[in-house]
Order: sequence, then C-alpha cells, then structure tokens
Amino acid sequence: MMGRRIATVAAALAALMLGPVPAIAQKATLNVVTAGDQNMVDYVKDYLAPIFEKNNPNVTVKAVGTGPGDAGSQKIAEKLAAQKTNPSWDVDVAVVHQKMAGDMVREGLLAPYVKDVSTGKLTTSPTAKSALGQNVEGYVIPMFQSQTAIAYNPSMVQTPPKSYADLEAWVKANPKKFGHNGIKGGMSGVAFVVGWIYANAPNSDKLMAGPYDKAVADAWGPAFAKLKDFNKQVTITPGNAGTLDMLNRGEIAMGPVWVDMFYTWMADGKLPPTMRLALIGPGMPGQPMYYVIPAKAANGAAARKFVEMATSPQVQAEGIVKKFNWYPGIDAQHVKAQLDEKTWNKLFIDVSPQDLAAKAKPFPVKEYFDAILQGYEKQVMN
Amino acid sequence: MPKHEELLRAPVKESRILPLCLVAPALLTVLVLFVYPLCYSLVTAFVDKGGQPTLGNFYRAFEFYSVDIGFTVVIVTLSTFAVGVLAIAIGGYLTLGECAPAVALLRWVYRWPLFIPFVVAAQCMRTFLAKNGLMNNSLVSLGLLDPQSTVGFLDWRGIVITFVWKQLPFVALLVSGAMASLDRTTIEAARNLGAGRLRILVEIVVPQVRPTLMVGLILSFVTMMSVLSVPIMVSGESPTMITVDMAFRINNYGDYGAANALGFISYALTGAAAWIYLRRGIAGGGKP
Repeated sequence: MMGRRIATVAAALAALMLGPVPAIAQKATLNVVTAGDQNMVDYVKDYLAPIFEKNNPNVTVKAVGTGPGDAGSQKIAEKLAAQKTNPSWDVDVAVVHQKMAGDMVREGLLAPYVKDVSTGKLTTSPTAKSALGQNVEGYVIPMFQSQTAIAYNPSMVQTPPKSYADLEAWVKANPKKFGHNGIKGGMSGVAFVVGWIYANAPNSDKLMAGPYDKAVADAWGPAFAKLKDFNKQVTITPGNAGTLDMLNRGEIAMGPVWVDMFYTWMADGKLPPTMRLALIGPGMPGQPMYYVIPAKAANGAAARKFVEMATSPQVQAEGIVKKFNWYPGIDAQHVKAQLDEKTWNKLFIDVSPQDLAAKAKPFPVKEYFDAILQGYEKQVMN
Repeated sequence: MPKHEELLRAPVKESRILPLCLVAPALLTVLVLFVYPLCYSLVTAFVDKGGQPTLGNFYRAFEFYSVDIGFTVVIVTLSTFAVGVLAIAIGGYLTLGECAPAVALLRWVYRWPLFIPFVVAAQCMRTFLAKNGLMNNSLVSLGLLDPQSTVGFLDWRGIVITFVWKQLPFVALLVSGAMASLDRTTIEAARNLGAGRLRILVEIVVPQVRPTLMVGLILSFVTMMSVLSVPIMVSGESPTMITVDMAFRINNYGDYGAANALGFISYALTGAAAWIYLRRGIAGGGKP
C-alpha cells in the first residue's frame, strides 16, 4: 500500500520534471480562470504560472479572476454555457466553488479528467466525490480546503465558547461584542448562519446528505426566530474583511472568519499575533475549491498537466499550506512529508486535526442551502 | 446674390447624410448597450424562468425586500436633501462670502471628492467612520470624546455620510456656477435695503437658481439609487439598499427575474422623482 503511494508520488514528480512534451509543441496560451478573491488570481499568476512555464516553455499561462464568492463561479459557468455550441472553449482550467461545480457537471460543461492525471488518486476526501449533494466524482480535484472558525481576542474573552449554545450565553452577557457579517457580505457570515441552523434545527445531518425534503426546511422557524433575537445583541460587520478589521480595532471581541484569511492577515501584520481561533460545536462549515477542466477546453492536454502540477504534493505543501495557510486539497499524509514540523503545526495550533474531524462540516446540499439563505432573508432580516 | 446663396447652400444639402453617419456609431452604441438591455430587463421582470408572463418576480421582490425598498427611498431622499442644503450653503458662501481667503480656500477644497470614485470613497469611509476608526480616534486624542462613548457609523448613517460627501461637490459646482452668473444687482439692491446675507441667500439667490439646483439633485438621486459599492462596503446587511439585494439574488440564486423586478422598482422610483420635478416645473411657469 505504502509502496504504491510512493510510486504514485514519484510518478507525479517525474511528470513534473519531464519538461515539454511533443503534444503541445506550438506556443499556446493556457487560460486559467479562477473564482474567488484576488489572492486566488495572485496564487495562479505569481506562484503556479512560473513553475508551469518553466517546465513547459511552449505554454504561457494567463490568469483571469472572475470575482469572489459563488458569483465568481457563476460567471465561469455562464461563460462556458454561452460557448456551448462552439467547437472549442477559451477556458482551459477553471477554479470554482462547490455550488456551481455540481451544476456544471450536470449541464455537461466539464470534462471527466481526474482519471487522466496521476494526482487524481491522492484525494480520498468526500468533497472530491460529492459537491453539496451532487455527484462530481471524476470531474474535480480539490485545490484546497478552507474552514471557518470563530476568531477571538483573548484579552477580551477569557474562556472561549465551545459551542453555539456557549456563544449565545456569552453574547447575552456581552452585548455587541460579537460581530458577524450576515449573508450578504461574504461567506464567513453565511457559514456562521449555516452553522447556527446545524446547531439549532432538528435533523441537521439530513441537510448535508440530502435529498431535499421541504418539511425539514419548514421546521426551521424557531431556529430563525432565535437567530433574530441573537442578532439584536451582535454587531453586523461589513464583510469578511470587515469582521477582521473590527477585531483588529478592538470593536468586537469575537467573530466568524475564514481560517486562511485569519492567518494571512496575521502574517501581514493586519491582526495582532495574540488573536486565537476556536472551532465551535456542533460544527461550522468549510468548503473546498475545485480544479475543473471544461469539456471542450482548447488546450485540454496542457490543462491536465497544469492541474497535475498544481495538485502535486510539493506544490500543495509549498503553495497551499505554507504560502496561503489553506488546508491541502489532496490527502494530508501526502503533503505532510513535504513540510517541516513547524510549518505543519502552525496550521493546527488552535484547531486540532481532531477538531477538524469532528466539527468541520460541509455546507448543506444546494436546495437546503438556498432554503437557509431565503429563510434568513425572510425571517431574520425582515 | 442668389448665386452666392446657392454656393452657400449646396454643400449643406449634400451633407445631410454625413451628420447621420457621424452620429450613427454613438447612436448604435446607445441602442445596443443601453436601450436594448434596458428593455430586456424591463421585459424579463415580468417573465418567469420558463418564459411565461408572471407577476411572481414582483411578489418575491416585495415579499423579501419591502423593508429594503422603503429603506432605500428614505436613505436616498435624506441624502439628496442634505446634499441640497449643503450645496446651497457652499454656493451661498462662495457668492456672498466676504472673507476672501476663506472663499478661495473653500473654492479650492470643495471639489475634491468629485474626482474620487464611489468605491474608493466607501473604502475610506469604512476605516474613517468605524467605532475605533480614524474619526473617533482623532476626536478622542483631541480630548473631545471619551473613548467609552464612541459610536461607529458603519450602518445607514455611514451610507448617508458617504453619499453626501461624494455627491455634494457635484451639486455645489452646478449651484455655485448658477449663483455666480446671477445678475448681482438684485443682490446689491437687497443688501442696500438692509437684508442680511442669510436672507439674501434664501429669498433672492436660491429662488433664482432653483432650476439648476433641482437638476443637480435629480441627477444625484438617480446616481445614488444605482450605487452598489457604498452600501455593500460601509454598512452591514439589515436593512440594506436594493442594489445589494439585486446582486444577492443574481449571485446566490441566479434569480434574474426578481433582480429585474427590483430594477424595475428602482426605475419607477427615479421616474417618480423626475415626474414630481417636471410637474412642479410646469406648475411654476413651464420652465424646466
């Protein structure tokens, strides 16, 4: 077993070092289109592109960003759908969120490329098979896993909450000292609201596994009513960055954040190094972003090589974990071997692997997800 | 003489097509990039996903966002009003002010926000207006405010402040221009009869520049109705402006129908503002 894994890794590395192959002889432009914040574009442009171009001198990588959140992924899906009848499409590799990945597979916009790349076998995570209840096996490789957690300022919070119930009690005692950004200003707030429903609604396992049953969604009334009361005692922040800004300025003591953003801000000196994280129970959602290859990508062969490089243990270790503080997209044991103990542990100081195993939840299946957002709009905001 | 006239006329006759040709690209651009999308969005507001006519989009828009629609009207109206009052104050001081250095300084300074995009203004306000932001920190360090009693303005008040800060120079520019071109004898006459500066401003100057002021305010109203960056960046969600809801509908549910219905509602609101203004113009003697 171990031997086979090593062989796979070795094969991946060999593929990396082989350099230009005849299949892509002319100078081609590989369009890598990525949803997400600017850091995603920077990652492709400043980190992945130089490595790939060095090994493939005949290919120029062009990184294009389509904007943060599901909106960014939606733009990619719309662009591909618009070109559906064309013989070849001008997107070679795309990086998309979970919600759109399922739709894109269903609409036949993606190529089942995972079998063609050697690193496809390095991912066994459930998110590589199912995206919010939709089967995406064979079509996606996770680029990274990101996770939300509650960031807190230890000088203002002596005993951090361990669960949503703890948090509720803390907020009652410390009004306006907890801040979240709701559902319209970014995904960290969305994740907090989803976690709230997981904690306060019956049958929360059904939300992650599907299939959709309207009766389950109709039973959320009390959970939303409780959230509406809770919101009266909190500060609503302007966006993911807004929560971190307010933590930094000491205006709030706690708030939901993306773990990778938290560490990146800390490394950039935009957040005091004393800030800590807590992943509260029963759990908060996280999500991967996926590398996908459109069904009629103009440079399909180069695209496969690109994804193979980007999901290799080396690149996952150096780029994803060390540079960007994300959890790796491929299985952790392949990546750990590439990193020194200190770098690896940094990722798990506050949120232990056990915490992740028990409390890192996926987002709900799409219908429930939409129902949560709509329910929040209707019952909490109105 | 007739010969001369013919010579003058001939090229005019020939070039009648030429102006049309010259105008065509611009006209086409407007038709394709503005009129077509406008009509398309108006039509799709009344059509469901299957292409059947429906009022469901409007039902959803009101079911979910009636609070936000009201909030948008209040915020934009309040901002427009504040812009009007402050623009008159600035224009008035530029026209009637007696301290030459102060007038020169004001004239130099007030236009600056005109050159700053909304998104940049919003980004600056986000750190400026926060509870422990630049404004409150400055007030605290000057001893004017107690650190415990600071209040953040990152809510509807922040939106109004940003809107007013950004739109004020535009209206003030129009208004002060109109004030500068007034016949100064009316002002001098009032002054000779003993009127104070405030009274001259309110009773003599403002009534004469009212048409210009109204044009500036209507344009500001329409501009502010359409801004997405400021509410998204400055304020939290509840309540929020309908531009944010439109973006949210599209980005999260792919629901263009309800987004277009909200768009239709915002056209209707700006249309109503324009109509009120036109009607008052006609009642006031037909001068727009």
